[in-house]
Amino acid sequence: MGSILVVAEIQKGKVREASYELVSFARKVGEATGREVKSLVLGQGVSGLAEELSKKGGGEVFAADDAALANYNAGGHFAAVKAAIDAAAPDLILLSNTPSGWDVAPRVAATLDAAFVSDCFDIEVDGGELVFLRRFFNGKLDARLRPAGLPIVATMQPGATAAFSAASEGKVTPLSITVGEGGTKFIEVKAASAKGVDLTKAEIIISGGRSLGGPEKFEEVIKPLADALGGAMGASRPVVDAGWLPHAHQVGSSGQVVSPKLYVACGISGAIQHLVGMKSSNFIIAINKDPDAPIFEVANLGVVGDLFEVVPKLTEAVKTAKG
Amino acid sequence: MKIMVCIKQVPHQDARLDVKGDGTWIQEEGIKFEINQYDQNALEAALQLKDASGGEVVVVSVGPERVTQSLRTALGMGADRAVHVKDPEADGSDPLGIAKILAAVAKAESPDLLFTGFMSDDGNIAAVGPMLAALLDVPHTTTAVSLKHENGSIQVERELEGGALEVVELKTPCLVTTQTGMNQVRYASLKGIMAAKKKTIDVKTVADLGLAGQVGAGAAKVKIEKLYLPAKGQGAEILSGSVDEVVGKLVGKIKELGLL
Ligand SMILES: Cc1cc2nc3c(=O)[nH]c(=O)nc-3n(C[C@H](O)[C@H](O)[C@H](O)COP(=O)(O)OP(=O)(O)OC[C@H]3O[C@@H](n4cnc5c(N)ncnc54)[C@H](O)[C@@H]3O)c2cc1C
Ligand SMILES: Nc1ncnc2c1ncn2[C@@H]1O[C@H](COP(=O)(O)O)[C@@H](O)[C@H]1O
Repeated sequence: MGSILVVAEIQKGKVREASYELVSFARKVGEATGREVKSLVLGQGVSGLAEELSKKGGGEVFAADDAALANYNAGGHFAAVKAAIDAAAPDLILLSNTPSGWDVAPRVAATLDAAFVSDCFDIEVDGGELVFLRRFFNGKLDARLRPAGLPIVATMQPGATAAFSAASEGKVTPLSITVGEGGTKFIEVKAASAKGVDLTKAEIIISGGRSLGGPEKFEEVIKPLADALGGAMGASRPVVDAGWLPHAHQVGSSGQVVSPKLYVACGISGAIQHLVGMKSSNFIIAINKDPDAPIFEVANLGVVGDLFEVVPKLTEAVKTAKG
Repeated sequence: MKIMVCIKQVPHQDARLDVKGDGTWIQEEGIKFEINQYDQNALEAALQLKDASGGEVVVVSVGPERVTQSLRTALGMGADRAVHVKDPEADGSDPLGIAKILAAVAKAESPDLLFTGFMSDDGNIAAVGPMLAALLDVPHTTTAVSLKHENGSIQVERELEGGALEVVELKTPCLVTTQTGMNQVRYASLKGIMAAKKKTIDVKTVADLGLAGQVGAGAAKVKIEKLYLPAKGQGAEILSGSVDEVVGKLVGKIKELGLL
């Protein structure tokens, strides 16, 4: 049996929470199948972080500490993962479903001719084999995936399990890497623009989705309710992609993470990338014509119906209640 | 510059999804299909490069007969040629199988730049692009939201979390996967559609590409064991009654929250 390799990520000078979630998954599978857990930490000046991970469940932690890894770059990241695979001989390689995971994980899988599963929220051990659970169709259906053999490269959805936090024995092994020329060159990171509304400060957010159909519908249907309640307008990604509202209104993994007192989702299906941006709101009302829409799983109150009928009536009723 | 754009045909975003009898995929009969959103942005990016500095845009898709419609749309939008890998032997391929097929096409075409979408709207796997780059041994980047081409190098802004962007540079040949919202996608004009009638769709089988036995369901390393409606958790309390009753209850709740 091979080992399990956890590819950890450093963010803002720390081992990312998602990486400790990978450790939780690795430990669970490791205990059930007799696999040893090993990890990789990569970057520049990361030996201290490797030490920390080794004492918090990471097992033997390979530390690729190299100036070529000072800034994230696909080539360097790939080289470090490849070197760790050679050193740790894993048959299960876990990465997070994050921008570096998107870049590197499928490429590693193709290079190893391995099975690949992405964005999983759980791993089950069934008859000694591994089964991966994930969403399909933007959250509308779930699937059980069974790789036909080993090795397996898997990316896990951040937030899908609790981060591992117990103390454990481990050690750090330095890992040297060679990064070739001619790959994908890092130039710079541009921070998200801070222009426009600040949804993180809003107490009430009324959000609309792709089903609104156009910017005029936001004016006619969403804005009056937001105004009546003294709230702000939010949106799902397709709304911003289509240019109906500026990016500052986008709620989700590539937009704002908000937790207002009241969040009203109008015609939003509830894809995971939207949910991570709003599920910690104090109270959530969802209006959607599809009773199976995933948004109802995180909402407190749901209305199965046509938003074009429900929202204007709600606006009138709010105005009446205010007198 | 020669550009290859990989497009997948997926169920229309508003299609009603039902799981088929054996539980491994959705019922495809009777639903509408469209070009994957992400791939529409990829095609638009390729056409913009061609508009600016010439070259050739080749669209490639692996899939059954229905895919012809999407390839015609792509040709109508301005792609020059299409390659359709149409073969039951390709059915049930996992992303690595698809990447192997696309790699065989790419080797025959030798494009300077390859595009795929970041992910497919049905499987949401986000794998084929980087896998294809690995098989071709060219550099790649994912989730492009803008792209510039200058003196043989491609500058891409890729999307990170929370709206941050990372700027990267790649030398051609290379592969870029595109994120939605990268550009506003053009429609096929009537003139474009007429012109497309004269353009060719090159149909190939798996054997034509030298991949007999290497792709398809049999070779897939990952099998969908079961597709199902997500288990219902605690979930929302669903309000019942007429619209007026429901609205009344909502207002009551908003008052109770102290927000009215
Ligand atoms: C890397 C990455 C980052 C992403 N980041 C974000 C992000 O930050 N934020 C985000 O939102 N998405 C994000 N997405 C996109 C996400 O996956 C979904 O595609 C998106 O959230 C869907 O938006 P939607 O709910 O408006 O549209 P859809 O999923 O198309 O849903 C439309 C909904 O409207 C309902 N509906 C239709 N008509 C009516 C009506 N008349 N009345 C009531 N209901 C109606 C339908 O039943 C359906 O549930 C990201 C995706 C990726 C891959
Ligand atoms: N059958 C296919 N034919 C052509 N391109 C495909 C096919 N499947 C996937 N792709 C490309 O790969 C991208 C990512 O798909 P996936 O890895 O399945 O999420 C898509 O956006 C397409 O550009």
